[in-house]
Amino acid sequence: MMPSRGARLVVAAAVLALVACAKKDASDRAVVHFWQFWDLAVIQPLVDEFEAQNPEVDVVVEQLTWATGLEKIQAALASGTQPDLCELGSTWLPRFSYEGVLEDLTTVYEAERDSFLMWESALWNGRAYGLPWVQGSRVLFVNRALFRRAGLDPDRPPQTWDELLTASQKIGELGTGIYGFGQNIGERYVLYKKFMAFAWGNGGDVFDESGTVVLNSPAVLEALEFYLKLAPFSLQEKQEVLDQYFKTGRLGMQVSGAWNLKNYKLEAPDLDYSVALVPKPSADHGSHASFAGAEMLVVFKASKHKDAAVALARFLQAYPQAKKLSIAAGSVFPADRAAMNDSDFTNDPRVRVFVEQSLTSRTTPAHPGWIEMEEAIDRAVEESLYGRRAPRWCLDDAAKEVQEIAARFPKK
Amino acid sequence: MATRRLVLPPVAWFLLPWAAVYAAFFVFPFVFSFVLAFLDYNPLNVAGTRFVGTENFARLFGDSAFHGALRNTVLFVAGTVPVTTAAALGLAALLRGAIPMKGVFKAALFLPSILSVVVISLLFKLFYAPGGALNEFLARLGIEGHGWLTDPRTALPAIMAMDVWAAVGYYAIVLDAARTSIPDSLYEAAELEGAGTWATFRHVTFPLLKPAIAFVLVINTIRSFQVFVEVLVMTQGGPLGSTNTLVLYLYDTAFRRLDYGYASVVAYAVFLLSGIFSIVAMRRFRSETAVEGARPL
Amino acid sequence: MRLVRMALLALLVAVMAYPLAWMIATSLETAEGPSLRYYGEVWQAGPFDRYFINSLAVAVIVLLGNIVCCTMAGYAFARFRIRGGKFLFLLVLSTIMLPKQVILVPLYILMQKMGLIDTYWALTLPFLVDPFNIFLIRQYVSTLPADCEEAARIDGAGEFTILFRVVFPMLKPVLAVVAIHTCLTNWNSFLFPFILTHSSNMRTLPVGLAMLSQGAHSIDWGHLMAGAVISALPVVAAFLVLQRRIIGGLTAGISK
Repeated sequence: MMPSRGARLVVAAAVLALVACAKKDASDRAVVHFWQFWDLAVIQPLVDEFEAQNPEVDVVVEQLTWATGLEKIQAALASGTQPDLCELGSTWLPRFSYEGVLEDLTTVYEAERDSFLMWESALWNGRAYGLPWVQGSRVLFVNRALFRRAGLDPDRPPQTWDELLTASQKIGELGTGIYGFGQNIGERYVLYKKFMAFAWGNGGDVFDESGTVVLNSPAVLEALEFYLKLAPFSLQEKQEVLDQYFKTGRLGMQVSGAWNLKNYKLEAPDLDYSVALVPKPSADHGSHASFAGAEMLVVFKASKHKDAAVALARFLQAYPQAKKLSIAAGSVFPADRAAMNDSDFTNDPRVRVFVEQSLTSRTTPAHPGWIEMEEAIDRAVEESLYGRRAPRWCLDDAAKEVQEIAARFPKK
Repeated sequence: MATRRLVLPPVAWFLLPWAAVYAAFFVFPFVFSFVLAFLDYNPLNVAGTRFVGTENFARLFGDSAFHGALRNTVLFVAGTVPVTTAAALGLAALLRGAIPMKGVFKAALFLPSILSVVVISLLFKLFYAPGGALNEFLARLGIEGHGWLTDPRTALPAIMAMDVWAAVGYYAIVLDAARTSIPDSLYEAAELEGAGTWATFRHVTFPLLKPAIAFVLVINTIRSFQVFVEVLVMTQGGPLGSTNTLVLYLYDTAFRRLDYGYASVVAYAVFLLSGIFSIVAMRRFRSETAVEGARPL
Repeated sequence: MRLVRMALLALLVAVMAYPLAWMIATSLETAEGPSLRYYGEVWQAGPFDRYFINSLAVAVIVLLGNIVCCTMAGYAFARFRIRGGKFLFLLVLSTIMLPKQVILVPLYILMQKMGLIDTYWALTLPFLVDPFNIFLIRQYVSTLPADCEEAARIDGAGEFTILFRVVFPMLKPVLAVVAIHTCLTNWNSFLFPFILTHSSNMRTLPVGLAMLSQGAHSIDWGHLMAGAVISALPVVAAFLVLQRRIIGGLTAGISK
């Protein structure tokens, strides 16, 4: 019944030998764990290319999701199971810089700073903790067929707030089930991106240069009051519903992202639409501001293969790779400035608008408490849209809340 | 071999697996959770952990987001549990006696309760959306559509209706099963005395089902207090916090805001409240006999 | 009267079935007419085959663990005089009442310290002994006569032999309830697998589906519903095949 002592020794020796082999194997090769948000079909070819060029490095790729990725990354850090290299949304990055869990990439920053956009979120206390990879702005989507039906000129999308309001109203009056404009509501991470476009365009902001909270300034209030004027002609819904409505030709305009270009091409090939810059307050005032988000690459301090991780980050960030990714994904553009003059991006009239928009787009403040701050802004806009309170009080409260959140993150 | 085994009495061996799992994955976390409640613990900065005494407990009283989550959760429990139980009783009554295709009816009623909450929540997120099935159905009746989940007045009721839809069939089958143990002679006697449907239910079915109803109430109360996946998938607590629930708040506090200490306090609040509610539910329908049955999902 | 009841039941069943029918219809409705295209695309995006294997493996391990461990504990509580046994059983009952979320954070920290995050261990170990199953089995064993066990004991059988050779076969009805309850709970559980795993290789079906729904910035309805149908299909198929046993098993377990 019992295995003999000899047999057990043989087994033990075999196990030891196996372990030794595995160890030796591991010491020769650096295994870089890379967490990111792209479909593996999009990212894997680039990683394979990197592995072919760097035979001593193995890359293990995992895919996260935007809705729960932040929690997963934070949980992984808490448990010490974080990857070596990680993709982060630019609004998430400052918290990680603040907590001191990221590798200092200032030397890379100094070498690359002039050739890339979107560094703002990576900088904290004068050091750089992330590398811009790809970026995307939100632009105004316009349904040309509805414009025609409403007696509007489809070749002349709204340039100013007044024109946007008039167009929304005319389309909204076409009948039940058709809406002039789309306003995000009732979900995380989205609402403030759309509203802040109007606030920024009007010269408003969350903080001024000295770091004082100016969220309740007249410029922001005016933007919110204008946003409310759009409400009667707007469909107020979650992003996926707005996108679905636009796709099925029942939404005149909405501010949305480049992911729709790809989706509409596949799912609604006959949809007659164009894109335009987000309108500015008036012809002689303000700017075509919009929200721009970047996807940043960071290396965690605890990584055992920092050099390999940084090498992979720089490989992915380099223009040929970032361009391949952007084209395959169809929803973003390289953070490399070279994209601004690349005919592959500027020839398509819709894509060109996205590139153009990114020149006047804004990023959110690089503050470690931003995740909570954006919730305060969301709440102010939602409360006003639902008519709970006057916009002024909503913004005052949001400003106060942002102030309190900021106070919880003392400079280290 | 046999002598070895007798070092411990067999009972100890029988209880060992349970005791080990219970100690490691229940008692220990439970006590740990209690300790965490007195700490300021940020998992990204464990070195900065501080003892804060009862500060986390005191925060509970001034925290309006917690109060909102508490109110929503109590509304959810108070709104769904009685409706589900009453509807399940009604269905069980409909299933009484010999009717054709009874098996088909039972299977169809039971079906939603085997689906995962994630599937159900995703389905209803679109079902309630403008352009979704419900609004299209209403449009056919000439009723204007509505963003059920984006209106703070209807978001929570819409999720509650979904919960009743998903749970009622299961409890109906449980109550129907319990009802089969009521002797037919009682119904025959009621019929002889000329009792109508309602009187039969009132004087025969209901009193004899009381233990089973207590079981359904308690189990459903515990389950409803933990409502989480539904809101995470469908509304993430919005709009305007109208669907924020205690467990979602616990999750956000721990895993988004990284405030593990305060999250533990919230966890204990959930524990106490669901205990109190279950005891109240049990008291109302208390009976001598313990009821057996399967627990819901 | 019976006709009225039938009609009422049919109506209610229609109401119950309507959302499910709509889910299937939406998943088949592509730009180029009804097709299974979304299913193919979602299956690729998954990897849903991997999620399915994970769900199945976890369900089987947890089911076996519960059948063995809970039978032993339930039997012990029913048949043996244990010092402090009443107190211990009260502990079991109290765990049924407790929302599991209370221990979520510390369990996470514990798993992290043990290095078990993102492994099958994390998905199965804490769920191997469900106190509710102990309760069910204990109640059932108490209703059984002890004659056979006594006879076996006189014949000199060991306690393990008595339990697994003599008592176990008599537990079939209650074990059916235990199996249904355990499988459904684990197959559909979301929160713990979601928190305790990181990599796509370890995701179970509900976690994978939730991830799919939040994958891109915005997902097409057809893809989403196709994913939902794929996740639901295995349990629905199992249910349709075993429905008599499942509903019958519940009945037997409840009405004794």
